[in-house]
Amino acid sequence: MSQQPSTSLPPPDLVPLIYQRGFRRLLQQGAYVGVTALLAWYVYDALNLRDFGFGFLDDPAAFKVANQWITDIDGVTNNRITMYLVGVWSSIRVIFVAILLSTLVGVVVGVARLSSNWLVARLAMLYVEVFRNTPLLMQVVLVYAIFLVGAPIIQDVAVIGDFAFISNRGLAIPWPVPDAGWWGVPDWFVGVWVALLIAIAAAAMAVRRQRQNIERDTGQPQFANRWAFGIFAVGALVSFIALGLPVSIDRPIVEGTRYLEGIVIRPEFAALTIGLTLYTGAFNAEIVRGSIQALPRGQTEAANAVGLSAYQRMTLIILPQALRQMIPSITNQYLNVNKNSSLAYAVLYDDLFRVAGIIQNKAGHALEMFFVIIVTYMLISFLISVVMNFINARVTRVGV
Amino acid sequence: MSDQPPIPRPEQIPLPPAPGQRRIVLPPHRQRSRRPRSVRIREWVRKNLFPSRNGTLLTLVAGAILAGILVGVAYFVFVSANWEVITHNRWLLFAGGFPQGEAWRLWVSIAIVFTLIGTAYGTWSSMGRRDHLFVALVGAFVIFLMAHGGAAAWSTIYFLIAVACLYGGYLFTVRLPRETSTLRTWQQRIVGGLLALSLPIVLVILLFGGEVGPRHIDGFVLNLILAPVGIVGGIVLGIPLAMGRASSMKTISWTCTAYIEIVRGAPLLGWLFVALFILDDIIGGDLIIRAMVVMAVFTGAYMAEYIRGALQALPRGQYEAAQAVGLTQTQRTRLIIMPQALRISIPPMVGQAISIWKDTTLVSVILPLRELKGNADSAIAQFEFTPDRIEAYVFVSVIFWIVAFMMSRISQRVERAQGIGER
Repeated sequence: MSQQPSTSLPPPDLVPLIYQRGFRRLLQQGAYVGVTALLAWYVYDALNLRDFGFGFLDDPAAFKVANQWITDIDGVTNNRITMYLVGVWSSIRVIFVAILLSTLVGVVVGVARLSSNWLVARLAMLYVEVFRNTPLLMQVVLVYAIFLVGAPIIQDVAVIGDFAFISNRGLAIPWPVPDAGWWGVPDWFVGVWVALLIAIAAAAMAVRRQRQNIERDTGQPQFANRWAFGIFAVGALVSFIALGLPVSIDRPIVEGTRYLEGIVIRPEFAALTIGLTLYTGAFNAEIVRGSIQALPRGQTEAANAVGLSAYQRMTLIILPQALRQMIPSITNQYLNVNKNSSLAYAVLYDDLFRVAGIIQNKAGHALEMFFVIIVTYMLISFLISVVMNFINARVTRVGV
Repeated sequence: MSDQPPIPRPEQIPLPPAPGQRRIVLPPHRQRSRRPRSVRIREWVRKNLFPSRNGTLLTLVAGAILAGILVGVAYFVFVSANWEVITHNRWLLFAGGFPQGEAWRLWVSIAIVFTLIGTAYGTWSSMGRRDHLFVALVGAFVIFLMAHGGAAAWSTIYFLIAVACLYGGYLFTVRLPRETSTLRTWQQRIVGGLLALSLPIVLVILLFGGEVGPRHIDGFVLNLILAPVGIVGGIVLGIPLAMGRASSMKTISWTCTAYIEIVRGAPLLGWLFVALFILDDIIGGDLIIRAMVVMAVFTGAYMAEYIRGALQALPRGQYEAAQAVGLTQTQRTRLIIMPQALRISIPPMVGQAISIWKDTTLVSVILPLRELKGNADSAIAQFEFTPDRIEAYVFVSVIFWIVAFMMSRISQRVERAQGIGER
């Protein structure tokens, strides 16, 4: 029988309740919940939610929004939620284009910053330092101002090679539209062709994968990419002719002070997209540079040792490995693009935030509108995160 | 006598190479004198600009782009631009609706802040040739701006006094000994405390007494007030939020997580929308006060995330060691955890500070407050300056660039001084 040491703690039931860990935590949390609830009650009381509700979104909108892609909405008969969804679609277009372009800019500038060519590296640094340290708002409004001041008015529109027009109403370019073709098919028939294209692309990818496997196993060059591209090009052409040319190209025309046909890249859209691209591109460039520099130097040396060219070294060895490191930070930048797209408000581009502002202006209900806005932004953020997590999982999977 | 080798003096005996440092000493017949400067320059140019055919092509293309940019910018700045929109609206851009009779409040604030910046710089760092050049360039820019368009000479003099305060504070502290001592600790405490207090001091000077109210804070002064309020308020809010989110008590961690994620879910413009339409019912007050609250609340969520990242990056041993020596929870946090976590999170927090500095422009997008960009818009709205939109926006961008660039340089300095990122 061992003797009880004199310094041992008394059994828990002898410790006063106030010194027991569990009880203290309970007390702390209780106090915290109490204070929080009091605060929440105060806010709830101050907000005065008597007429809280989303019914007003179903009323006729009575305003117009500009959107090239959704033309059968007049804003008179349509309700407010429809107009809001048009705004959401406008936002998504800007976000998508800005993400793609800013990634491209980021990779090019990030690699250029590490160039052994002094002038190129300096030029890239200049770009990053200028665009990272100025407000995005200023970049957007400046591009917009340059567009408005620099471009001619629509009456003396500038013609580029007979197929595109540029004026302060925007840049009008040709655009493919569904066509009756040889066999007089309805407009929706273009969907059949698109479905066929997707099937052909899948087949081309399968062939590519198969030839890559052969190349890996035998060491004989199989030209997988050329085969895939060839199959897709031939398949697209053959199906296009076989379906009787279901798509034609619409050339823009200027009539009075309006553009007709074709598609117009409006100055507001261009300013917002260019601003977002330049700003986010500078941050992406720093991320790309950082992840390349984080690679061990031996990777470059090994690539040199096996005799790869500078281009091969970058595309086959360095960038694929740097990609793993850069994706989390780049995802963050994409989420920022999503939130920064609300700057559309400054150039009067009808994105979701501006449309919500208009609705709030007409109908009040600021709290409900803010609720709708934040939920939309969170949904888009969630979508971006899901896609990027999927890509991240693909990239970090190490093939053996 | 002459055939005897001279006895080397102690300083002529080569030291053995330090451990870990490789030093190759060539035998005398292989040693070469340094090649002349012209040869070295030629070699550098060949290596860095014209290494190969493709490299030369790249240099030519980059050079053409750079030349194009330079010529375009020079043409715009010196020939085509009409800078009268700036010089004519100098006061509007700088302080907007701030009463001119109370301008001394601004000058005194600027002098105090400049002195403190100089003192802090002298305490923790030192100014190199580049820093002097930067101050000189910015000073010349400001004086140039004030010399045009019939500004009163006194504003130039006041600005020079402020710059003198900067250098006075710097020269006073940079000579003090840097070794760890009681005196040095007190110096750091006093300077740090004054820095922390500078914002309230400045606000008191600006707003206390006289006819100046919060609604008079306008123009560039509004940016200069909003950004520090957002940054300081963000850190003050961010520390408890980060600790709350890392807490083991479920109610606390859930509410803190909810706060952080909801605030980060919407853009700042959305929260300014809240300040305009919703916050009025909850806290009331001047719109400018509501904008400040929103800035702090918004920044707090981001700061909290950076501090939380630092808390997670701390090795577990730090927590365990603090527990092992018998510190209480408060002592652990105050003495062991937070100092290290804050030190790690300095770089991202400075990034966030720069971001908030740039985001102060958003205030004028939906709120009826006019900071620098908003007042630039009012300058363009004057009839004679309507065509000078680009000039006004370029000017505003340059101003924001100067401050943001300065902040990023100071943060690099702090990182190097603290040894962050080096292990």
